[in-house]
Parts: sequence; C-alpha cells; structure tokens
Amino acid sequence: MYDVGIIGGGPAGYVAAERAGQKGLSVVLFDKKKLGGVCLNEGCIPTKTLLYSAKLYDNAREGSKYGINCSEVTFDFAKIMQRKNKVVTKLVAGIGAALKKGNVEVVYANAEIAERASDHIKIKAQDNIYECRNILLATGSEALIPPIKGLVREEILTNREILEINSVPQSLTIIGGGVIGMEFASFFNSMGCKVSVIEMLDEILGPTDREMSALLRQDFAKKGIEFYLGSKVVEIKGKEVLFERNGKTESIISEQILISVGRKPVIQGLNMEILGVEVLRDGVKIDDRCRTNIPNVFAAGDITGFSLLAHTASREGEVAINTICGIPDRMRYNAIPSIVYTNPEISCVGLTEEEAKAKKIGYKVRTLPMAFAGRFVVENEGKNGLVKILVGEKFNEILGVHMIGNPSSEIIFGAAIMIEMQMRISDVEQIVFPHPTVSEILKETMFSFHE
Amino acid sequence: MANPVIMPRQGQSVESCIISNWFKNEGDEIKKGDMLFSYETDKAAFECESEFAGVLLKRLYQEGDEVPVLKIVAIIGKPGESIDQFSDESVDSTHEGMVSVESKEEEDFTPTNGLTVARLEGEKIKISPRARKKAKGLGINYEGIGGSGPEGRIIEQDVILAAKTRSFTTPLAKAIANESGKTIPSQGTGIGNRVTSFDLLSPAPSVGEEFEIRKLSNMRKIIAAKMKESLQNSAQLTHHTSADARRLLELRKKAKESFEKGASENITINDMVCFAVIRALKKHPMVNCHLLGDTISIFHKVHLGLAVDTDRGLMVPTVKNADDLSIQGLAAQLKAVANSCKKGNINPELLASEAATFSVSNLGSYGVELFTPVINLPQVAILGVNTIINRPTDLGNGVFGFVPFIGLSLTYDHRALDGAPASAFLREIRLEIENLDFTV
Repeated sequence: MYDVGIIGGGPAGYVAAERAGQKGLSVVLFDKKKLGGVCLNEGCIPTKTLLYSAKLYDNAREGSKYGINCSEVTFDFAKIMQRKNKVVTKLVAGIGAALKKGNVEVVYANAEIAERASDHIKIKAQDNIYECRNILLATGSEALIPPIKGLVREEILTNREILEINSVPQSLTIIGGGVIGMEFASFFNSMGCKVSVIEMLDEILGPTDREMSALLRQDFAKKGIEFYLGSKVVEIKGKEVLFERNGKTESIISEQILISVGRKPVIQGLNMEILGVEVLRDGVKIDDRCRTNIPNVFAAGDITGFSLLAHTASREGEVAINTICGIPDRMRYNAIPSIVYTNPEISCVGLTEEEAKAKKIGYKVRTLPMAFAGRFVVENEGKNGLVKILVGEKFNEILGVHMIGNPSSEIIFGAAIMIEMQMRISDVEQIVFPHPTVSEILKETMFSFHE
Repeated sequence: MANPVIMPRQGQSVESCIISNWFKNEGDEIKKGDMLFSYETDKAAFECESEFAGVLLKRLYQEGDEVPVLKIVAIIGKPGESIDQFSDESVDSTHEGMVSVESKEEEDFTPTNGLTVARLEGEKIKISPRARKKAKGLGINYEGIGGSGPEGRIIEQDVILAAKTRSFTTPLAKAIANESGKTIPSQGTGIGNRVTSFDLLSPAPSVGEEFEIRKLSNMRKIIAAKMKESLQNSAQLTHHTSADARRLLELRKKAKESFEKGASENITINDMVCFAVIRALKKHPMVNCHLLGDTISIFHKVHLGLAVDTDRGLMVPTVKNADDLSIQGLAAQLKAVANSCKKGNINPELLASEAATFSVSNLGSYGVELFTPVINLPQVAILGVNTIINRPTDLGNGVFGFVPFIGLSLTYDHRALDGAPASAFLREIRLEIENLDFTV
C-alpha cells in the first residue's frame, strides 16, 4: 500500500512526488508520456528556449545601437529546435533523477481509478493494481479546440505541434491573443514570419492590466504584427481564416494556423466517476488545502481549471502533500505572479486596475517609465517600459504591480513578496535595492506616491 | 466614603444579569438590608439587598439593561458626596479587587497595549496568574489565544503553546487592527502562519484548526432553549398560501408618497400585513390563544409579537392591544418596539413569549419564498411572511398575466387547532390583504 498515488507527472505531480518522497512517504507516480508535463515538454521550457534564441537574434540585429556591428546575422532554425529538444531532455532527466532520489516509483502508463475501498483507492495501470491511501489528481490540461466550421484538426497547430515544425513559415495566423498566442507571435515575428493575431475581445492578453497589454500590442504592431481585435473566427477554409469584425467578414490566408484560445482540464478517461469527485466548471473543485470533496482525494494543477500556471500547480502539489502529512498549509492565490515572456516581457502580480474597479476596492495608482531606473536605460536602447503600481487607498498596502520591459520576469517575485507580506509603501521604502538594477524602479515608483 | 453596589455573581456560568426593577430612586435614603433592585439571569430572578446605609447617589444602569457580573450598578454614600472616584478606571480596579476575593486564581484583565480590543461586555479574558506571568516573560500577547482551562480560562500550557506556534503579523494587518480595534489572532493564514488582513476581516479559523470555539451568549442560549422546547413540545406544521399583492403595493406607493409629503408614519408592507393579520385574528379568536396544558386561554385582545433581527440575535417584542390601533398607530408601535430591541432598551416583559397572543415573522426582504416559522409557545400559531413574486394568473377571458403575490406561511400547533380552521384563518389573512383599505 502506497501513502500517495499521483496521477500526472507535470509541475503539480512531480513536485508533489518529490516533496512527499522527502517527507518519507511511499509514493507512486503515473505518467502516460514523459515527466515534466506540458510545462516541460510543450509549454514553458521549450517556448522560453525558442524565445531566448529569438531575443539573441533581435539583439544581434540591433547590436549597432550599442556599437556592436554584426554583419549578415542569420539563424539556423534546425539548430534552434535541436537546442530546445536538448534543454527539454536535460530537464526531464533532472526530474527523473530527483524522483529517484526521493524513492518515488514512476510508472509510465495510463492510469485510471479502479475501485474505492474504505481506507484506500485502487489505481489500475498496465493491468497492475496499486493501492493508495491518498491520491493526487494532477492530469493537467490540454489545448481547447473550438468548434469552428471547416476546422480540420490535422491542418491546424496547437502549442504542441508548433514546437515540432521544421521551418519558419512565411506567414502565421494566430487565433487567440492570450499569453500562448502572444509568445508565439513574438517568436515568429522575430524570426521574420508575417504574423496576424485574431482576438475575440477588444484587447489582447485577457485579464492582464490593459495599459500593459495595449503597450505590448502597439509595440508589436510597430514590428509588423497585425492585430484583428473584436474579431470572431467563423470559418477555416484550408489556409484561409474567415472572421467577422464590426459585422463584416474578412479573411487572412497564411501558411500556418495556430489555435491558442484557451485550455481545458483533462478529467476524461480517469474513471473519476467511481470516486464521485465534484467538478466545477470543467475542473476538479478543490479547497484552499487542495482537498476535493472526497476525503483522501486531492487535486493540483491545471485539472482544477483555474490559475493555469506551472508555479501555481507546483505550489498546489506542495500544499496537497502537506495537508496529507497534517502540516498546516494553504493556497493563497492573491500573490501569484504571471508573466508573458514576449520581448519585451510583461510581468504582473496582484490586482489589476480593472479588477480593483470591478471589486470596488479603493486604490491609488502610479505609473512610471522604466527609464527612471538607470540600468534599464543602459540595456534597453531606444525601448520603452512601464511600471504601474496600485496601493490601497487607506493603508497604502501594495495591491498590484504590473511591468512591461526586460527583465521584469526576474523582478516580479519581489513584488509578489510585498503583496503576500501585505507591505505598505512606507515598508517597501525601507528595503535596500541593489544599484544599478532595473528592480529599483519599484522603489522609485513607491516614492512617486508622495508627489 | 461612598460605596459601590456590585452586580452579584450568581453561579459560575453566569456572565451577566438583566436588571428587572429598581425599587429605589436616586436621592432615596437607603437602610442596610433595603431591597435596591431585582435582577434576573436566563434561569432565575433575584433581589439585591443593600449592604450599606446612606443615600442612593447614582444608578448606573436602567431597568432592562444587561449588566456583566461584578460591575458597579449603583453608588451609595452621604448626600452630596463625590462619586468621581467611580469613573471607569476605578470601576475596573474595584472590579479586580472584588474578583480576587471571589476567586483567587482568576482575574479579569483589561488590555492595555495599543491593540486594545473592543470586547463585548461579559467577554473579558480569563487568565490564571501563572499563565499571565509566563505570558509576560515570553512576550506573548494573550488577548488572541484560546484558553483550555475551566470556562475557557487561559492556563500556563496555553501560553507555552502560543509561544511555540507564535507567528507574525503583516504591516497591513497591524495598521488595520490599530485603527479598528480588531483582535489580532495568534495565528493567521499568510506565509509562515502570518496574520494577514484577511484574518482580521473574516475571522477564518487559524491554520491547523478546523474551527474556532466561542461561548454562547446568554441570548443565544435562551433562543436555543426556546426553539428546541417549541419543536419538542408541540405538534406544529405549516400551511402555505399567497395573496394577490397588487393592493398592498398600491397602498405602499401611496403611503410612501404621503410620508415624503410629511405624513407621520412611513407605513410598510409589513405593517399592512400585520394590520390584516390582526383583523383576521379578530374573526378567528381560536388562533389568538395560549395553550397551557389542559386549558386554552382565548384572548379578547390581540397582542402582536414581531420577530426582529438584532445584533445580539432574534427578539420577538410585543405590541400590546394591537387591535386598538389604527394602521398609523400600529406602524409607529411596531417601529418603536423593533428599535428598542436593536438599541437593547426593550422592556423585558414585552419579550416574553407569554406577552404576545400571536406572532409574525417577515423574511420577505431576504427574498425567502417559503419557510416554516417556529411557534413561540404557549402561542398556538405564527405567520411567516415571504417575498413578493410575480406569478402567472388567470385574468379572465382566457387572458393570463403576471401578478405580484406575497407568500404566507402559517405554522400552527395541531394540539390547539385543526387543519381546516387553520386554513380558514390563513384564507382570512389572504382576503384581508387583498381587500385592505385605509386612508393614508
């Protein structure tokens, strides 16, 4: 009998397995493909590898602005993809080693619930039965393919297939201007591909602070990406995407079509009905300790259907294991950073101005150009960046921090700590920020509230 | 020197008593052994004799006030003598002195640091001297920690445990606590069990505990006992119907307009329903009753009880002789008793379930569509008033339209009343509502 059976080896499952192993629990982890889940195999890591190559390419071409002349800058797409595969393989192997060290038994097979007994649950995989005192559901999510007339699954790309293409297409139409769509837009635009983005809403990047999304869109438009906002795709005819905008039907013809309209939790094929696990909006419903409605069944990661981020998933996995061990712990969703790894990056944590208004939370706001931090000027010749900070109207506590500009993704965790620790402007002002760094922009913005 | 009269402690579990009657007025001469006032707990009534001779210089509480035990109720001394020494602070010191005599181990504590808590009276922190000393030594603020000793008293072990699991408070939580006077719990839900603003704003159970233990207030205990008694000792069931509310809404509109133009009373839908109920009761006296064992008291007058939600809990004050009142008079009286309940200065006699002959409970404002109100024994019935809903209705000639209906739920005691007369009474209320008329 295992203490914990984990279904799914992504950021929720493998982190949970590792932590459980460290705590001395007996753990079995099931994954039908490779460890690392979407994040490692077809999400965070491979896309960031590609985007880094693109950033180097951009920098090389713009080198003359910094006095570095590179003539005939070219790229080798096959090499870029090869390196991406190498990075993924290396990190997947790293997870395998960590799990081995934690004495986690890994079963590479499709797992399903076989039976629920009074004090344990039986999981079936490859005709073997594994008895587990607790189980953690961490099956993740998959790309949502909307029902569009004429859509042939084999002819369109999702985040999975686009990572396996052999050459940069001449042109690419991206349906859905969310985080995934924009990151691929950024990459393929850098690689010289003609990119068009069709978004149903009136702004890209969904719940991101609108000021940030708009800035990125304008920046990308200058770089040649075409945006069709408030546009609804009605039909796909081979390479042609037809969409309605302002009541008129328009169309774009491109070599490839990427669909990135959202993701849905994977809850089919698990035989979850045997357990009677409660489902909420297509995801498994959990409380802040990652418990489902069934006592010894836990869930973590994208399967919950909200906060679909690898770092949320890992933290949920940890909370689930702590709950199993009786260690007090709980999820707090108010200070989870979210980042768009485009060039330039957008990094956010906490409330957006739109949310504060909708929730009727009294706030004060300041925005400051990134250029107020010397280091940003040093490293971002001719580029714009912006910081926006929201604080509580009454107590001046940090409510939200939004940044566009590089390398905001490496700074945002500091803002997350400020929010999680409920620091006020006066508290942040006492922190010593290293000089010269881009992070100083946070402190600078705090002082601007006194003006 | 003037002497304080203290609210006596009646048994270990009693935290406060209600003053029922004052027998002496300020300025009256008092002899040792004179009855000063009567007071009651949730269980029994007592009288307080004076231990001092002199003049009643000051009464600090009124009849109907709930007074924490060991608080100063009155001051007796020589005529003209100063009573300044019994300002709030010295009240507390006297208070502490009294406690130490009563119970050597237990002392009441008034928090003195910046995070002082506005506690409900009677909810003072109980802490043993050993625990208090330990807390001081460990630098523990024991306001927020739970006690595991008798009656929730904080004992040494609790302080040691609190020190072990002690956690920090975020700057925002501190700022909010300082301003609002909210208690900072010993554990929170933030990083490393830090206390965050969320823990202050919604008192979530601290990490690791599934719940928070609170003692019931006297009021809660009384409600609990009464409700259980009612459901255990009677044969109650509920009939539901609804009345066409077009007339009500029309009258309400007129009433509102005339109130805005200066009429004395703002007559509400509830006032109108109560008015209709009183008229129906006059026609069905068998509902206007008390069932007392082998006898039934059929009242000539209608004393109407109205369920009122207050901060302290549910109260049902009575409007006496409600059948003598005009709609304006009824509206004024219902408002007056409800306000007294909310302020806490209601005459306790009006709260007794024997005071009313019939009660009304209105949950319409909450959007409740049907409920089964619980009878206040010895009354034999209670009317639940529900929200107004538009319902499809046959308007005649095959035309259907949506008409507003107000839901009515009558719980009655089948020991006193059969289904047919209860239904007839309910129909009477409906007809009274549908045909209600008065000049605003």
